[in-house]
Amino acid sequence: MPNFARITAVFLKEIQDIRKNPNILVMYALPVLLTLLWNNIMPGMPPGMALSFGLLFLVVMVGMYVPSMMIAEEKEKKTIEVLLLSPATPAEVIIGKGLLTLLSIILVAIFLVLFTGHQLQGLLTILLATVLTSVFAIFVGMIVGLLAKNQMSTGVVGMPVYLLLLIVPQVAEMAPGAVQIMAMFLPTYHYLLILDYVLTASASPVRILSNLGFIAFSSFIVFLLLLYIYKIKGLKN
Amino acid sequence: MMIEINKLAKSYNGTRALRGINLRVEQGEIFGLLGPNGAGKTTTIRLLTGQLKPDSGQARIFGRDVFKDREKILKNLGVVPEETNLYERLTILQNLKFFCRLYQVDYARISEYLEMVGLLQEQDRQVKDLSQGMKQKVLLIRPLLHDPEILFLDEPTSGLDPGSASVIHRILQDLNRQGMTVLLTSHNMEEVDKLCHRVAFLNQGQLVEQGIPRDLKLQHSRQQIRVVFQEQEEINEDLLELQGKESAEFIAGLIAEGRLKAIHSQEPTLADIFVEITGRELD
Repeated sequence: MPNFARITAVFLKEIQDIRKNPNILVMYALPVLLTLLWNNIMPGMPPGMALSFGLLFLVVMVGMYVPSMMIAEEKEKKTIEVLLLSPATPAEVIIGKGLLTLLSIILVAIFLVLFTGHQLQGLLTILLATVLTSVFAIFVGMIVGLLAKNQMSTGVVGMPVYLLLLIVPQVAEMAPGAVQIMAMFLPTYHYLLILDYVLTASASPVRILSNLGFIAFSSFIVFLLLLYIYKIKGLKN
Repeated sequence: MMIEINKLAKSYNGTRALRGINLRVEQGEIFGLLGPNGAGKTTTIRLLTGQLKPDSGQARIFGRDVFKDREKILKNLGVVPEETNLYERLTILQNLKFFCRLYQVDYARISEYLEMVGLLQEQDRQVKDLSQGMKQKVLLIRPLLHDPEILFLDEPTSGLDPGSASVIHRILQDLNRQGMTVLLTSHNMEEVDKLCHRVAFLNQGQLVEQGIPRDLKLQHSRQQIRVVFQEQEEINEDLLELQGKESAEFIAGLIAEGRLKAIHSQEPTLADIFVEITGRELD
């Protein structure tokens, strides 16, 4: 059973570390800046689109990049060795890192929703969808971190996945056919649909629930994949 | 017996890093594993701390099997690795507090140890801004916070200036006086000679010699002394047998005539003994 005190120790360490890590801070700043840009400089954008794209960017880039970099850096700098000589288990290390990523995404997401002036009534649904999609993205980021040898190679390993999850859902409506079919299997596509429904009040709760269900199911599948890859590769490689 | 190794063997991709070594370390000892790079020193520590699994053989610490009871054993071990694997963006204090939280011990000992190594005033500096000597001191403190019974050190003073190395040596001796068992690896024979109660020579994965440094030096001594003396206007020197009437009379004569300048024991260093046994330098 994971120990809460040790998970908290990893969580606090990561907070202290992230505050001084410009590579990761940039990842948090980008979705905020992009949302501001789309919201203010491109007046022709449909309502809610700037926020949708900002949130998608936040969930995919921060959700995947941050845990992958955290894990890869621990391996590259060999801090993982001393960590695993302590009473901390690999599960506690991973949960601590994932928890920080998730909470930070939630905070930035709330900031984005409030900052772009959207009403609070859809906030809970947006947050629920954001949490579920972030969990999916964090698991994928952890897989990237386990597979990558160092921080540099997280880009090589992760970039195709990042692009797939980020771009395909955005172009799906414009490119029917194979792209749209592919998009339907991506949780980020369902996330964008939920955001669209909530921000334009254009869908019933049942429709939203089915999208949420698909994202939750995807998260479960990718969690199983994470366990499998961890079993093969381990945290130290 | 604190550490007991029987026929421990480990290979990497077909290369035999350890070839069935046997070793015992008693409670309260400082034990040195001496050998050149690639001799198998780090592999031994990694096996003893359960970071690697052996191909064959046994390792026991506190009487427990390292590979079956790793979790229980680790709580009472401290490890100073060869790499400086500190969190560079965190301060010294943040690094140490993090490990206190992981071990669930209070922060009380942090100040005590920082004071001991002269880093109390530097505790709020980021690790990336510290000198290598300072980092090594932090590395040494980190595994002491949970008060382990055995401390493993892998090349603890490698790359350090003599001043910093001396501080590390003093701390290790203090800890040992308080009862801590220490196993260190080094290719620095002076360090091992100065610190260790017993040493073992590791060469190409095999233990080729072990014992008390003084005994090893006596055992491998050529039983000679070098005498430096005045002869007319010049300073000369001569090699004499350590024992025997002839040597005694020659030295007595020099002393009586006031011509003796110095007598040097020809005792070999641990590095000399290593070369004699293995034919290899210690790097």
